[in-house]
Amino acid sequence: MLERSLYLVRRALRNIRQSPVLCGAAIGTVAVTLTILAFFGIVVLNVQKLTSQWSREVQVVAYLDQVPTPAVLESWEKTIANLPQVATVEFVSRTTALERFRQRLGADASLLAGVEPDTLPASLEIGLQPEARNRAGVESVVRQLREGLGLGDLRYGQDWLDRFEAFLDLLRTGFLVLGGFLLFATLFIVANTIKLTLYARKDELEVMTLVGGTPWFIKAPFLLEGAIQGLCGGGLAILGAALIFHGFLQHGLSTLLLAAGIDGISFLQPLQQGLLVGLGVLLGVCGSLLSLRRLVRI
Amino acid sequence: MIQLYNVCKAYQKDSSALADISLKIPKGDFLYITGASGAGKSTLLKLLYAAEKPSRGQILINGQNVTRMGAGRIPYLRRQLGVVFQDFKLIPTRTIFENVAFPLEVQGRRRFEVSKKVYQTLKQVGLEHKLHRRPLELSGGEQQRAAIARALVVDPLVLLADEPTGNLDPEITLEIMELFKGANARGTTVLLATHDREMIRRFPRRVIVLEGGRLVDDRTP
Repeated sequence: MLERSLYLVRRALRNIRQSPVLCGAAIGTVAVTLTILAFFGIVVLNVQKLTSQWSREVQVVAYLDQVPTPAVLESWEKTIANLPQVATVEFVSRTTALERFRQRLGADASLLAGVEPDTLPASLEIGLQPEARNRAGVESVVRQLREGLGLGDLRYGQDWLDRFEAFLDLLRTGFLVLGGFLLFATLFIVANTIKLTLYARKDELEVMTLVGGTPWFIKAPFLLEGAIQGLCGGGLAILGAALIFHGFLQHGLSTLLLAAGIDGISFLQPLQQGLLVGLGVLLGVCGSLLSLRRLVRI
Repeated sequence: MIQLYNVCKAYQKDSSALADISLKIPKGDFLYITGASGAGKSTLLKLLYAAEKPSRGQILINGQNVTRMGAGRIPYLRRQLGVVFQDFKLIPTRTIFENVAFPLEVQGRRRFEVSKKVYQTLKQVGLEHKLHRRPLELSGGEQQRAAIARALVVDPLVLLADEPTGNLDPEITLEIMELFKGANARGTTVLLATHDREMIRRFPRRVIVLEGGRLVDDRTP
């Protein structure tokens, strides 16, 4: 078994050595297509980061006509905090509200001279769990606040939330369509390049079937070769994506996204880099498999 | 060893490449399959090494029914056969040693055993001094000897040769025929498709004649 496995590995390596140009073409194709995919991935990743930061803004504010007693307030806070959709509850007193308003006005804070703290209402600011930062989550919390605690004046930026959800839907659909198209195009290009390399070895495949090679014995070295090509292509794609990222993408995205509120532009995480290389291996194997299915007929 | 019962092969609906062939070839026989181009010689050989399936009829080789054989069993049938082609079908990027070693590697034989057997077989066909050359560095006759070595290296039960001397000079043809005779003397059943009447005259053996896909003559000298 070990000897047979070693034989198949030796054959795969010998195939690569004997056709360096064809093998280089396949590696180059995988590398280029995966670099494009990685480029796309970096943009998606950072836009996702941006939307996740924006979604932190999704919160419910319950304005209180009368400031309740500390005991009632504590009981409300406890009840609200126990709701599964709720992450944080913060009581904002009238004084704090006025202070925040003053800070927001900045240089124009003098306009508030003579304004008493009683002018602004106290409130409860309710932060939501990430999975509840959507219309359904917000409405569920609002309903429970209304029905459970009798809180009437609730604000949660309905219009902004609708626009934010529509934007997220558009992003998701766009990324899915574009990502799916890119993946399909990558598989198509890689499969065709590998098919060309296999056509060059059509005679060898024919002879192997004639001397009694089983389909898997014939295919295994080519699949292994495809995997090696995918591995090298994936590795080169990471390198290419890193060059593009540090060359101009980081600067370009910074200009675009930092202004929109993101705190830093990030490259692919180690796990995502691993997935990209894994995708390269998968593409190499699938590309070989698709081509071999037609070429190896017993 | 080989039995054919009412074998027919049609590639298209209205014309048949082989029609109603029935034949028995005993173990150790040497048989010429002859006829004009398009008579069905190559088709008959293809049916025997299971590259094609008959449209009708049954084929038995060494007791195994090739007609009913599943795709998974065909490689194991082919390991008992040696096939030689007019165009040699050697892999140009591999050395002669590697080409001849192929059928043994396919069977999963050990490296030491492969090396020993390949060397012995190449010596048998007179190519032991060219084992590291590539096919295109050899003459046509040498390439055909290498192809015969590849067929013989597994000690096949049956050797099938499709116009093996079609591209070769008459002197080289004699050398090649000696190799087939040697294999036959060691017990291998040999089926040789040819339209070379001179060869049949010089090395007389059982001859079957095909005409338009039909078996029209079966004679033994």
